[in-house]
Amino acid sequence: MKNTKTILPVTATGLSVFVLAAILAMVAGSAIAKPPRTEQQMAQETAAYLQSVAKGDALWHDGSLGTNGLACGNCHPDGSASNPHTWPKYQTNLGKVGTLREMINWCITVPMQGKPLAYDSEDMIAMESYATYTHRGVAIAPGKDEQHGAVPVYGGPGYPAP
Amino acid sequence: MKKISRRDFMGYSMKAGAATMFTGILAPTATSFFGYGGIAEAATRKIKPFTFAVLTDAHLYDIKNHKFDGFLEKAVDDINKLKPRPDMVLYAGDIGQSGKEAELLKGKKILDKLKMPYKVIPGEHDYYLDMGKAWRGLFGDEHWSFDHNGAHIIGMNSILVPDFWSMAGLTPKERMGRMEELECHRCGLWGVGDKQLEWLKKDVKNLSADTPVVIMTHSPLWNYYPRWNFQTHDAPEILAILSKFEKVVAIHGHVHQVVYNKMGNTVSAGLLSTSWPWPYPPVDLPYPDIRMNRVDPGDFEDGLGGHTLDVTAGFDGTMNYRAFSDLLPANVKRGIKL
Repeated sequence: MKNTKTILPVTATGLSVFVLAAILAMVAGSAIAKPPRTEQQMAQETAAYLQSVAKGDALWHDGSLGTNGLACGNCHPDGSASNPHTWPKYQTNLGKVGTLREMINWCITVPMQGKPLAYDSEDMIAMESYATYTHRGVAIAPGKDEQHGAVPVYGGPGYPAP
Repeated sequence: MKKISRRDFMGYSMKAGAATMFTGILAPTATSFFGYGGIAEAATRKIKPFTFAVLTDAHLYDIKNHKFDGFLEKAVDDINKLKPRPDMVLYAGDIGQSGKEAELLKGKKILDKLKMPYKVIPGEHDYYLDMGKAWRGLFGDEHWSFDHNGAHIIGMNSILVPDFWSMAGLTPKERMGRMEELECHRCGLWGVGDKQLEWLKKDVKNLSADTPVVIMTHSPLWNYYPRWNFQTHDAPEILAILSKFEKVVAIHGHVHQVVYNKMGNTVSAGLLSTSWPWPYPPVDLPYPDIRMNRVDPGDFEDGLGGHTLDVTAGFDGTMNYRAFSDLLPANVKRGIKL
């Protein structure tokens, strides 16, 4: 109440800010009151993400983004050397500080001679999902001029463990 | 002989039936017990020195005026201009990308411009559309050997996998499509297979231990990174058959990069492609100083090139990487001793 007394008389703007804050607090309160997500919900969210990774995996390898037969996977098997942990950074061929999505579009349009993806498209997000998934656990190093292989994969039928 | 990592050891020792041979090949303390020769020492027999060129991994597409056509042409041109002229050219596989006869034919037309004889082995990109039919029609046997100036030169098909397509009901095109993916985890590990091992045994049976031997395969004869088939699963058997020789030089395509290793009496070197370079896989290199620099994506020729291999009278080899762009650290630029 002490605070209210000092704020209330100030100005009309001050008052409206206070009311807004109160409303936000109520909304936040209701969010807190919401029961925790169930395991089922969390599994669904992970599955949705992995679906995006799988879509990215397919786009990365099937050559459909280019016109000269090349796919991202030609040069970036398992997403390696896409270095998602280093973006944004200055990239010579972009000539500026750019993002992974800009670099993805550079690869699609220049070496692969395809059409750029819209930055907010499902396909672009899938590409980013795949690139980051193959570097899971790698420490982020924005701006760093570093090449990182994908996370080592030994699994799968016929492939021996290290 | 140094720096065989634990991973390599585990990889080799897991191969069925190869564990004892492995010990003989890779553990220097066991060589005398098995009666094998020294470790990557110059052969005692003197040969007539010679130079040969090596090209690999053009990955040509059946698309008119594709940029990769020009890269192979550039490499062929580079080799043709060398003075003195290399005695021959070895080609380590993957002329085509999708196994189409048109790709292989395009590659043959370019390679036919070489002013010296050349020998080719198949890569997986040449093979899995028609199981090598078109390739054999154009280039002949998948494995071969010949003698040159006192050295014995062997080429083998190391990209054979067990049938993964029949049960899955895949069409030839689908089978090829899976094999085209480097990280195809449904395709299995490559090898040369029992028939070629039997052939190799007979091929070297009557050669004396001081014969210098060069062997070319598409994939490396050591366990580098199985996920990308940077391996040949029956390499331990190949190395065991060749272990009677004082020295073996092994060269391989497929990796599209500078990489080096020693296995007992064998020195191994990876080759640059004329299509695209591959980043190093996320494992430690056995010889980390022998590598190429990081490639500039804005320079399409960076990471590509051809090679010459000089062989001295005492069978000391030097691998000269002829990179199209500024790719090599000074120590590699000077040539790598094999």
